[in-house]
Amino acid sequence: MSEAQRPITIAFDVMGADHGPLEVVKGAAQLTLDAPNLHALLVGDRALIDDALAQVKYTAERLAVHHAPDFVAMHEKPAAALDERPRCSVLVAAGLVRDGEADAMVSAGNTGAGVLACARTFKLIPGVRRAALATVYPTAVSRGEKNDPFSLILDVGATVDASADDLVAFAVMGAAYARIISKNPDPAVALLSNGTEATKGPARVVEANQTLSGLAGLRFIGNVEGVDIPKGTADVVVCDGFVGNVCLKMLEGVSETVVELARYAYKEKLLWRAGLAMLSGGIERIKEVTDWEQYGGAPILGFDKLFIKAHGRSKARAITNAGKVAAKAVKSELARVIQTALPQAPA
Amino acid sequence: MTLTDRIDPKPPRRIYRWDLDKTYLQTEFDTLRQLVRTALQKAHEKKAVPGAAALIRELKASGDSQLCIVSGSPTQMRAVLAEKLKLDGVEFDELVLKDNLKNLVRGRFKALRGQVGYKLPVLLQSRARAPAGAEEVLFGDDAEADAFIYSLFADMVARRVSEPVVYQVLEAAEVYGDDIDRVMRTWESIPRADPVRRIFINLDRLSTPASFALYGPRLVPIFNYFQAALVLMADGHLTAAQVLKVMVELIQSAGHNLFTLSNSLQDLLRRGLPIAEVAQALGEALQGPQAMLQAVRPVPDILSAFTKRAASLGAQAAPPPARDIDYLSLLDHARPRTHKKRRR
Repeated sequence: MSEAQRPITIAFDVMGADHGPLEVVKGAAQLTLDAPNLHALLVGDRALIDDALAQVKYTAERLAVHHAPDFVAMHEKPAAALDERPRCSVLVAAGLVRDGEADAMVSAGNTGAGVLACARTFKLIPGVRRAALATVYPTAVSRGEKNDPFSLILDVGATVDASADDLVAFAVMGAAYARIISKNPDPAVALLSNGTEATKGPARVVEANQTLSGLAGLRFIGNVEGVDIPKGTADVVVCDGFVGNVCLKMLEGVSETVVELARYAYKEKLLWRAGLAMLSGGIERIKEVTDWEQYGGAPILGFDKLFIKAHGRSKARAITNAGKVAAKAVKSELARVIQTALPQAPA
Repeated sequence: MTLTDRIDPKPPRRIYRWDLDKTYLQTEFDTLRQLVRTALQKAHEKKAVPGAAALIRELKASGDSQLCIVSGSPTQMRAVLAEKLKLDGVEFDELVLKDNLKNLVRGRFKALRGQVGYKLPVLLQSRARAPAGAEEVLFGDDAEADAFIYSLFADMVARRVSEPVVYQVLEAAEVYGDDIDRVMRTWESIPRADPVRRIFINLDRLSTPASFALYGPRLVPIFNYFQAALVLMADGHLTAAQVLKVMVELIQSAGHNLFTLSNSLQDLLRRGLPIAEVAQALGEALQGPQAMLQAVRPVPDILSAFTKRAASLGAQAAPPPARDIDYLSLLDHARPRTHKKRRR
């Protein structure tokens, strides 16, 4: 069979998600119905997978099961859990991707365990020293062929202490991902700092700014501040894992607080309730436009194989989309594109 | 004894009963436009479900067997359907079609869509003419009531279902009184036997296999005819070489490959079908010198894919439990699809 005819197989770590195996199995099964050239490989407890498959439609020709007797729970410490249980689903799934049984992996389980499983199993792309966890965030502007309202932020937790070279690699990886997945041919890339001037920020950010300014094939727009993230000033926002994680959690906190305040207002006064009711159509529209489930999850970039980390509370639709995003990245040879775009080390 | 040796040199007489639309033929008639297009199609324009023709040819080639086709297609399509079967190299012994014009003229409108009142008496009459010891394998699909009708037919011949239950079922399925009488009379004339070995349901609508669990392990929902061929090999109806012929047709006509085939095999193993030995025998046959294997090369990749899929399941699944079918609880399955929608 030629490479062009070969189906793309996505390994789904079925275990450890907030909603249990059913939603992951449902999402993966839907993928087998939606896309004729995509296959799903379900990795996890066979009995639980069987139970879930009994409840959903699927195409047997495009779906396979790989039994893994253990899994890593959300609350567990990743390193210890992976050491203790080498046959846990996330590690088995990563192994299947490494061995060519699948082309990419999707998991809605423990994020740390997923990242560590990749680090222990996959190879870093030549020129990349550390991997980055990227996530999408809804912004005020849309971009690319798909009018995508999401910007990409990386790293949000995989590499806590990134060097200037790491930040440059993150920028290249983020831009490549945005080109392929958001169909944004020329994404604006920025470094997150405490001021827009090139000299602002810690030494590593200043150094990365210098390198990125001279890097061909990348539309680097300089530094942006935290306030620029929701504004959508940049399509790809680059930072180290420590800053990115703090930033992401803060943005999530703000969003949750707004919802809480709306709930409070709804209960407090009839007039406010009426006001919210009048706005409900618009709120629904915003919800539709900023629906993160269409993205399915956050990619771990930097490895030769792709891992999409779906949100722990992902429902079937998000899982299906995570599979489609992973397949799109595989088809577009994301790892090769990243490698080509990285600055060449001086001879 | 190897699996291939299990093929009896003098096998019992066998009857393979097939439905046509969505079982043998890829037919769409959910809308009026599709219905008209299907009715106007010429024989060479009709498409068989991949693997179905090869499977029938191989089954017919094994010993003393009959192919009996019972279809809900109108009698006016007889010539075109017979020609299509001939084009596919399928030789049938019986082809029963539905005389809907007669139903229309007689004002029997319920019979136009009804399946139970049409197929059950036809199956029983055919069985009454069949040699007493003949075994049967039935092929239908998930679009209408085939699983229900075939299972009821099997259990009626085996006297596993009582008269009052059959009456209740026929009344619930809105079968006309004279047809009920015909069913009862014919049933009485059939000697008690247990001839139905398997019922295959082609999952044209991708119903979940689990939704047929209430029909017991005799009924096997299938996603393609490679799966049916594997089970029939385990049941002693086909040799490994014959299964390979079905496999080749699926590869050549429907774009199947080692991934889809090995996944199909694993799906059966996962559902507890006893085909572990079959996979091994198939592997041995794949290494043979037959010229047709050129179509399924590279053989080592296929063997490896089959072995991996079987091994990746861990422990072998327990076979599905045998059970008595409670037809009264499944009455909704007996009603025409349009009625089911209305009742929801």
